[in-house]
Amino acid sequence: MSEIMLSLRKATKLYAGVPAIDGVDFDLRRGEIHALVGENGAGKSTLTKVMAGVVTLTSGTMTVDGADVAPRTPLEARNLGIAMVFQENSLVPTMTVAQNLFLGQEKFYNRLRGIYIAAQQFLQSLNFDVTPTATVSGLGAAKKQMVEIARAVLHRAKVIIFDEPTASLTPEEKKYFFDLVRDLKKRGVSIVFISHALEEALLLADRITVLRDGKRVVTDDAAKFDRAAIVQAMVGRDLSNTLYGARKSTVRPAGARVLTVQNLKMAPMVKNNSLSVFAGQITGVFGLVGAGRTETFKIVSGVLKRDFFHGGEILLHDKPVRYRVPAPAVKAGIAYVTEDRKVEGFFETSSIARNIYLGLLSKFPKGRMLLSRRETDTVGKSWIEKLRVRAIGDHAKVVELSGGNQQKVVIAKSLVQEPDLIIFDEPTRGVDVGAIVEIHELINQLADEGKAVVVISSYLPEIMALSDRILVSRQGKVVEEFSALDATEERIMYAAIH
Amino acid sequence: MIAAVREFANRFLGRGDATITVPSFDGALKPNQKLESAETLLTCEAPEDLATVGGNLLIADGPRLLRLDGGTASEVRSFDRSISALCALPGGGVAVALGGREVRLYANPSAEQPSATFTDAAFNAINALALADDNALIATDGSTSCGVDDWARDLMELNRSGRVFRLDPASKAVTRLAQGLGHAFGSCAHGNGVLVSESWRHRLVLVAPGAAPRIVLAHLPVYPSRLSKASGGGYWLTAFTARTQLIEFVLREPAYRKRMMAEIDPAYWVAPRLRSGFSFKEPMQGAHIKTMGVIKPWAPPRSYGLVIRLNAEGQPLYSLHSRVDGINHGIVAAIEMGGDLVMIAKGPGRVLRLPLAGLAEEFSS
Repeated sequence: MSEIMLSLRKATKLYAGVPAIDGVDFDLRRGEIHALVGENGAGKSTLTKVMAGVVTLTSGTMTVDGADVAPRTPLEARNLGIAMVFQENSLVPTMTVAQNLFLGQEKFYNRLRGIYIAAQQFLQSLNFDVTPTATVSGLGAAKKQMVEIARAVLHRAKVIIFDEPTASLTPEEKKYFFDLVRDLKKRGVSIVFISHALEEALLLADRITVLRDGKRVVTDDAAKFDRAAIVQAMVGRDLSNTLYGARKSTVRPAGARVLTVQNLKMAPMVKNNSLSVFAGQITGVFGLVGAGRTETFKIVSGVLKRDFFHGGEILLHDKPVRYRVPAPAVKAGIAYVTEDRKVEGFFETSSIARNIYLGLLSKFPKGRMLLSRRETDTVGKSWIEKLRVRAIGDHAKVVELSGGNQQKVVIAKSLVQEPDLIIFDEPTRGVDVGAIVEIHELINQLADEGKAVVVISSYLPEIMALSDRILVSRQGKVVEEFSALDATEERIMYAAIH
Repeated sequence: MIAAVREFANRFLGRGDATITVPSFDGALKPNQKLESAETLLTCEAPEDLATVGGNLLIADGPRLLRLDGGTASEVRSFDRSISALCALPGGGVAVALGGREVRLYANPSAEQPSATFTDAAFNAINALALADDNALIATDGSTSCGVDDWARDLMELNRSGRVFRLDPASKAVTRLAQGLGHAFGSCAHGNGVLVSESWRHRLVLVAPGAAPRIVLAHLPVYPSRLSKASGGGYWLTAFTARTQLIEFVLREPAYRKRMMAEIDPAYWVAPRLRSGFSFKEPMQGAHIKTMGVIKPWAPPRSYGLVIRLNAEGQPLYSLHSRVDGINHGIVAAIEMGGDLVMIAKGPGRVLRLPLAGLAEEFSS
């Protein structure tokens, strides 16, 4: 039996004549965890989609277990023992966990009880704490991930490809996920693992392949890499000092109190939450998923409506406010940059300029009589330049942009409203390292200009690199406050869990 | 009419004045245990206020005026009533408020006869004295109906009858600068006006002649009290206890409060206290917190210790705390003296000293 489970030779995939991957050689050994890293647009997803039969190669060859193959559909790839767990999960939300697990493998006669029992036994064998009768739409991100993985294992996959598996997981859930991946490895499953979190790649992978601009830059044992080396290979320049590198030696002093949240309640996520946000500072809000961070700030910005009776109090510039919809909050100077840009952040088939202009229009709750195409172009162009959005042109559709550039559009859409309080919810989730640096620079610049900035993040290095003060949220309320100078990862995590 | 409708709506919806929310201790008010590390200079029976006269520290302790030399206190003089406020005057003099109803000025702390006496019929609860820029005295009077020691009743009755007086030693004239305040307690000259603590409205207001009080600092999670000037600009603001949601809730339950005040010993009211934990009869809130899936009983503090350092604009820079597990609660006075901050923790009856060196740096880092 060959040591190589899957290999690609001179793999090239062209989209409209432009190579997404260009002559890539890739080997996946039997029972190894292989991390694929690279900036957005480097070709990681295309490479894995080729393996999973989602796209076919323009030129080049692919072998599985030594045999030449060319899977044209995911079903063909699955029959070859290759399964892919996508970043946006592919489960049917209205079906139960068990039904999702056996979807496509149904027998002629299916007994629901039998499916549940089989699913229960199978999930227990993987040590997954997921109820087989639960509807998928009611599950959290981590549990959905577990179901996806379980489905891949159930299909007797020899190769499992994970695309950004930890993006929506909490630190605790990540640890659990890593244990699971190591367990799969012990069973002889080969894992391909795409991640923007380089620490995860270093921690988990046996080998790492770095892609840049559709080409393979380097493949080597993980032990031979460090963070700086990977980043340098990814971007072709040294970013290690700017990306979560140096700890803060000074913090910005607090300005006037811009936002006060007092005993805010909205069952079941926000429980008696109180906090303040000050001008000229970055207030980092850390917490595990379900800690009520996003919900609190969605209530502040009118995206969510809070409990009517005794739902607490929100003061903006020391005046009580209660927003039922976002428009008056925008008018009052609050901007909320969503964590889920694809659903809430933009109109993906509209141009960049139009999306940004829409942000400006939302500052006028009653709308405008006339819309100006010239103004759209001017506003769009100035913000595209200001935030260095990389696109073919101002009229490129947002859906055509990479994750980092999409995020910049979402940010521009909020900043065009000239807010006093800007809330960034997971500002760099699914964003490549080059764009992370630029987004962080922008956030710092906003605080330097005297704006009150809130950064909600589940990624500790990001919170520690950006924040002047760190609020830790647990079970629906802020439980601890740290100055960035005396915060350590251990202290923050302890406060978030205990 | 509109106000009545609004009040009804507020009470129904629990908003505005009827809200039961309390701001959090964060930012400059982030809790620490700094007051617990303060040195105890003196323990006395009923310390109330402080003043520095000619490099000496004077302490109002019940009816006695004490001078602290080194570690020992000596009685300078005593009065027939408790001293409710104390203030140093230019030239080594001292002003004392007695029982909240009379203010006497002495050329020196041990002078036999007062150089001036103010016994205006309007005085009821003079609780703090401060020197204005023109050497006049500013007196804050907490309530028209409750005495200085009966401040908890004043809170429970939702009185808003605090006043600020200007006492002119030259003309012996008493001028009312402001009225209708939510328990005025502490003042300090600020520009051409006077910065006044409004305890029951949890804020500092600027009272200036011919103008309505202007809010300088609002939405404090505590009941602010006396103010003093800080070296390098700014002020020290003491807060005699912290607000809790339980008290805020009780404050919007008139029937409960009425019955409580009629039937319960004031020591055991559900009301803020300067000290707590001395009797099992003290009320507790039957609250709980869930930690690691385990529900644990918990009660909010009844008393607290806090001193806030304000900048020249009256905004908080940092704060010194004694939390629920501390002892130095009920801070009612804080003044600077020789590079130290001297404070009165009325709860345990202590005079405290905390070196100022490095304090600002510690909290600004």
